[in-house]
Amino acid sequence: MSTIPHEFAIGGVYLPPLLVASFFGVIAGVITIRLLNRYRLSKYFFYPPLVSLLLMVIYTLLIGIFVIKV
Amino acid sequence: MMLSTRAKEAIKTALAMTIAYAVSLSMGWDKPLWAGFAVAFVSLATVGQSMNKAAMRMVGTLLGMVVALTLIALFSQDRWAFISILSIYTAFCAYMMSGSRNAYFWHVSAFVCVIICMDGGANAANAFQIAMLRTQQTGLGILVYSLVAIFLWPVSSYDAFKAATGELAVTQLEYYRACLRRVSQQGGESEIQEMSARQVQQKARFDQLLAAAEIDSYAVQEHSIQWRSYQQQVAKLMKTLECWRESFAEVQSLDMHQLLPSLDNFGDELDRRLAQVADMLAGQPPESLPQPAPLRLEGAALSRLSPFERASVIVTRNRMVRLEELTRSLFEVVAVITGSGHVGEATKVPRIASSPLFLDLDRLGSIVRYLVAFWSIWLAYIYIPDLPGGSTLVIQATAIGIVVANTPQLAVSKLIVPVSGGLLFAAVLYVFVMPALSGFHSLGLLIFAATFVICYLNSEPRQVLGRLFGLALLLAVTSINNQQSYNFLAVTTTAMVYTQLFLILVITAHIPFSSHPERTVLRLVGRFFHSCEYLMETMRWDPSQPTMRLKRWRLVYHAREVATLPTKIGNWLPHLDLRFLPGTTMDQVKDLLTSLQSLAYRIQLLSEERNTKQADFLVQEFTTDFRSWRIQVQSCFEDMAATPDAMDFIKIRTLLDEKLGQLEERVREVLDKAPETLTRDQEAVNFYSLLGAFRSVSEALAHYVEKAAAINWTPWQEDRF
Repeated sequence: MSTIPHEFAIGGVYLPPLLVASFFGVIAGVITIRLLNRYRLSKYFFYPPLVSLLLMVIYTLLIGIFVIKV
Repeated sequence: MMLSTRAKEAIKTALAMTIAYAVSLSMGWDKPLWAGFAVAFVSLATVGQSMNKAAMRMVGTLLGMVVALTLIALFSQDRWAFISILSIYTAFCAYMMSGSRNAYFWHVSAFVCVIICMDGGANAANAFQIAMLRTQQTGLGILVYSLVAIFLWPVSSYDAFKAATGELAVTQLEYYRACLRRVSQQGGESEIQEMSARQVQQKARFDQLLAAAEIDSYAVQEHSIQWRSYQQQVAKLMKTLECWRESFAEVQSLDMHQLLPSLDNFGDELDRRLAQVADMLAGQPPESLPQPAPLRLEGAALSRLSPFERASVIVTRNRMVRLEELTRSLFEVVAVITGSGHVGEATKVPRIASSPLFLDLDRLGSIVRYLVAFWSIWLAYIYIPDLPGGSTLVIQATAIGIVVANTPQLAVSKLIVPVSGGLLFAAVLYVFVMPALSGFHSLGLLIFAATFVICYLNSEPRQVLGRLFGLALLLAVTSINNQQSYNFLAVTTTAMVYTQLFLILVITAHIPFSSHPERTVLRLVGRFFHSCEYLMETMRWDPSQPTMRLKRWRLVYHAREVATLPTKIGNWLPHLDLRFLPGTTMDQVKDLLTSLQSLAYRIQLLSEERNTKQADFLVQEFTTDFRSWRIQVQSCFEDMAATPDAMDFIKIRTLLDEKLGQLEERVREVLDKAPETLTRDQEAVNFYSLLGAFRSVSEALAHYVEKAAAINWTPWQEDRF
């Protein structure tokens, strides 16, 4: 499989790989924070609003590097 | 075929939109979407409401235009000075927006200024063209909608106003009756809460419709002064009824009929006045004029009471006497309005000091949030090459950012569905339908149909976001012009603009304060007690001593905080997510708010009584006792400001009861040796009123602590995402 970054074509519209990675990163981040809220684990973080943003960034990077291969 | 109101309103907006586009395109003007925006945003349920909003939009546009051109003239060579002054001006507008009756005027003024600055750039000639075009298109949109609203199925605000006035008068009458039943120990408690809330809602609707009816109804316009007077009298009556209600707890164990022998006659007379006010507003002439209603105190029965009980009775009676004055003037005003009376003193409108610039920490917090969002987007625009949206993003940061910052209860996530829906609808029309059209006949039909569908499907007040975003995105994405071009990037760029904007708004949601409702409620409660503590601190003997300007200013600030914070807390309660607050029920929180409101009224009463003239003899005798009580209460407030759950209810109750017991003993002791004349004159009444106010604050404080103790506060203080 080629490791060269490639765009996603949906109905003739080309989407950059980072956009797709960030889309899934945001979804994964939202699911994680919902779970952490539900089980009252959020209180263990110093500043939850910043952590939620960073979780999305981390997920985006992980998905970008290991799944989509940006 | 009979059309529904919903269909008629949708047809009116759609027709105005189509005509505005037709005129703009036929005149060859650029940016016809601006005329469309004016139509979309000023269309409301009645002609008066629409005209009111249209006037604010027009005047706001003119002010925004003047400010923008001035900024371009002064700072076009210095990017940072330019954007700094622009952001300061828009922040000022954001601050004014949340404290003014003309919120929409300030909002329009801010974003029009940014639109002209961003679209005009540093080119003065271009900026002037843009400014003129914006004003021209806004004027066109307003003119077209106004004509359509006036000639096609006009809906006057008068009927709605008349209905709202009648409902408010009936609610006040029922509320008064329930209060009277309560003071006569005949029940009434259960309805009082519900009626009080209903009264507040109806008053808000009355205020809104009065402004509209003054524009589109001659009947209201010709008695404008009297209606404004009526508005003020109703507000005073509401406040006095609330204060009166607050005094019931202390007199509920007393036989009020024995203490106030004329209570029944007094009650009947006020009932008759309020009933006649409601009748006159419903179109019936009054049966009789207000009769004198003395409320005599039975001295012998009063002297058998303890000093605190005596004080409570006097406080309750004072409120009732005030009610008598208010109902009389209310009757007179309504008699003049309905043609049953003559213009007298009561119909004069006292000028109320309006100070939208007063310091409000929540409003300051909102502008900090707005400025952080605005500057983040501006810096991104400057430093990120080819930022999708560019200047549009900066404009949206002002137009939407100000609203979101000023309504922190509105979660950004609530905007995603209306924006996505509007974008999808507009994209389908733009990509698949518009390229197949030729000539204005088909385009006009499309504009009409699309506008109609959006307005028809989003006609409920709760769907207002869907309607506004639906229309705005339809106009923005289709970008209809004489030289029409099609580019799929118009859709994706618009999507990117909102994605970036929402991301920034989500990130800044917790700046400078957390926007979680439970944290906000805790913060506001802390501020409330901090202000109570300050007010207590100022209640030393010697109010005649001159105070410094800063101290006076702080006193006014804290008094306003105490008066307004319970309402602000109440606005947050429906947004509490109890899933994250185990051990708390909504009823508990509502009880807590009621006791907080009660404490606020009583502290205000204490402040008022504190300023009345007191006998020197009593002042000398009680200085130490009152000081001791004040320090005790102040210390409770201080602890509660720091941590709402730190107070032990039993300990507080015991301490306050002990203090009141000591005070009561001292009052007996002192009054025994007081000169005979003192116990009869006005200064004695003032003293008892003050004593009653002290007691009522103690009671309200103990009541609050009791309610607060029932809540599990630990989850409230936990951080969450």
